[in-house]
Amino acid sequence: MNTADFDYIRHYVREQAAIVLEPGKEYLVESRMQTLVRKENIASIEELVSKLRSDPKSGLHRKVVDAMTTNETSFFRDIHPFEALKKQIVPDLMARRAKDRQLTVWCGASSTGQEPYTVLMVLAEHFPELLKWDFKFIATDLCTDVLVRAKAGRFSQLEINRGLPATLLVKYFTRQGAEWEFREDLRRRVTFQELNLVKAWPVLPPLDIVFLRNVLIYFDMETKKAILGKIRRLLRPGGCLLLGGAETTFNVDDAYERVACDKTTCYRVKQP
Amino acid sequence: MIDLDRLIAEANELAPLPASTVRLAGLVANPDCHLDDVAELIAFDQALTVKLLRAANSAASASAAPVGTAKEAVFRLGAAQVLALTVACGARPFLQSRVAAYGLDEGALWRHSVAAAVAAETAPNFCEVEAPPETFTAALLHDVGKLVMGRFLSPEILGFIQRAQEVDHLGQLEAESLLLNVHHGELGGLVAQHWQLPPRIVKGIIYHHTPELALDVICDFTCLANQVAKRIEAGLDGRRFELAVEPGVMERLGLTQSKLDNLCPIAASRYVQVSRRYNAV
Repeated sequence: MNTADFDYIRHYVREQAAIVLEPGKEYLVESRMQTLVRKENIASIEELVSKLRSDPKSGLHRKVVDAMTTNETSFFRDIHPFEALKKQIVPDLMARRAKDRQLTVWCGASSTGQEPYTVLMVLAEHFPELLKWDFKFIATDLCTDVLVRAKAGRFSQLEINRGLPATLLVKYFTRQGAEWEFREDLRRRVTFQELNLVKAWPVLPPLDIVFLRNVLIYFDMETKKAILGKIRRLLRPGGCLLLGGAETTFNVDDAYERVACDKTTCYRVKQP
Repeated sequence: MIDLDRLIAEANELAPLPASTVRLAGLVANPDCHLDDVAELIAFDQALTVKLLRAANSAASASAAPVGTAKEAVFRLGAAQVLALTVACGARPFLQSRVAAYGLDEGALWRHSVAAAVAAETAPNFCEVEAPPETFTAALLHDVGKLVMGRFLSPEILGFIQRAQEVDHLGQLEAESLLLNVHHGELGGLVAQHWQLPPRIVKGIIYHHTPELALDVICDFTCLANQVAKRIEAGLDGRRFELAVEPGVMERLGLTQSKLDNLCPIAASRYVQVSRRYNAV
């Protein structure tokens, strides 16, 4: 792909989703755009960019951003955060919230649904009483296509193979042709909605547990600061933020404190 | 680029393994598996019996008296070895294929698969943990996903994978995941599921490059077997190959560096001997 087309796409993606694509990433943009042009019956990447330039309001722009978003996810990804949830985070929060019996979880980059459904399975397995509380579960993503898939709760065998133990497969999924469908009663507990982390956020309720894993790595420092600041203002006292293994609030937003939880780290807002 | 659904469909369209192989795999995966049951099942399949007898009487067992019945073959080889040989028998026509996208000439994937199976057979003698009976089969089939993936990797996609490796210093597996949203281990897992092989074999294949994600000893053994197989092949070709076994794998298997250094030449000499057994099926 030529430099001008690459620059157009990378600047647009940066502006819309704060995803940084340095020179050298042409191979990634080209491979993702090849898929898109075939899907959209467009002759070439050059033609795609020409269409994007000539009609800035076309739906194609959205599809370009979606195509460049990494939707890597799996059930029980990295396992330790879910162990921490079970052993420490939820028991602690249930004790703190025993009076008002309110708890809200937010998955901030829920992709095709594996992470929110993993959290739900952990809660249903170990804290069934929590689901009788005033319990809210919000799952958001920038990409509308993946939200539709997440809401449907249907997964291919390939997706199931990524981390889902057989015992939970049997208990929480039913076979639907070549796919597996997550239990409807639990699926309905999740509110899926669109949210672009780098634009204005819709109103979110005060939060107790936030999963925002493997997202900040794609952003520059200013964007990370802005996102962590917004979350900080939404976290209730004692509320807990879980980031990816390669992410931290350290030197980004030092109003958070690191708390060792089982074999992982979570972040809480420092109390005065 | 590759349509993921087409890849999955392709994995599910490989010809099935014989019913007796599937039944045998289920039997061996059962902790209460008895060799008499294995022998009985084998005896019902005449073609398989002939092949197993040939394998049991191959050079690897030449010092022992020849065996003449399925039961004798099973008792000589053991259930795990019988399963690996039986699966090898069914999978060999596939594994013999040329997979140009991975630089594998005709027969190269088969040789690597056999080397891995032999390495898996040898490795437990140097480790502190026992290998589950499905280990040899998982090692034998660990790269079966390359067969499927290889058919879809056009020069253009291979170029992207190469760029990802150069620019972002990704390994083959990571580059495949980034660009295709699936890697050859996962595709191999789908093939094994399609062949109705036991879940632990599926797991060993899927995680043979990423055993830390599965934390199952079969994945550690399969990962180790893959590395040792590469070393064996390099040795036979007179190439140098630096073994890169993850410290976590070594730790979980109770394998020290000195034991690993001892394992490699022994596995290499066993390969020359035992591969005849696999080539006999």
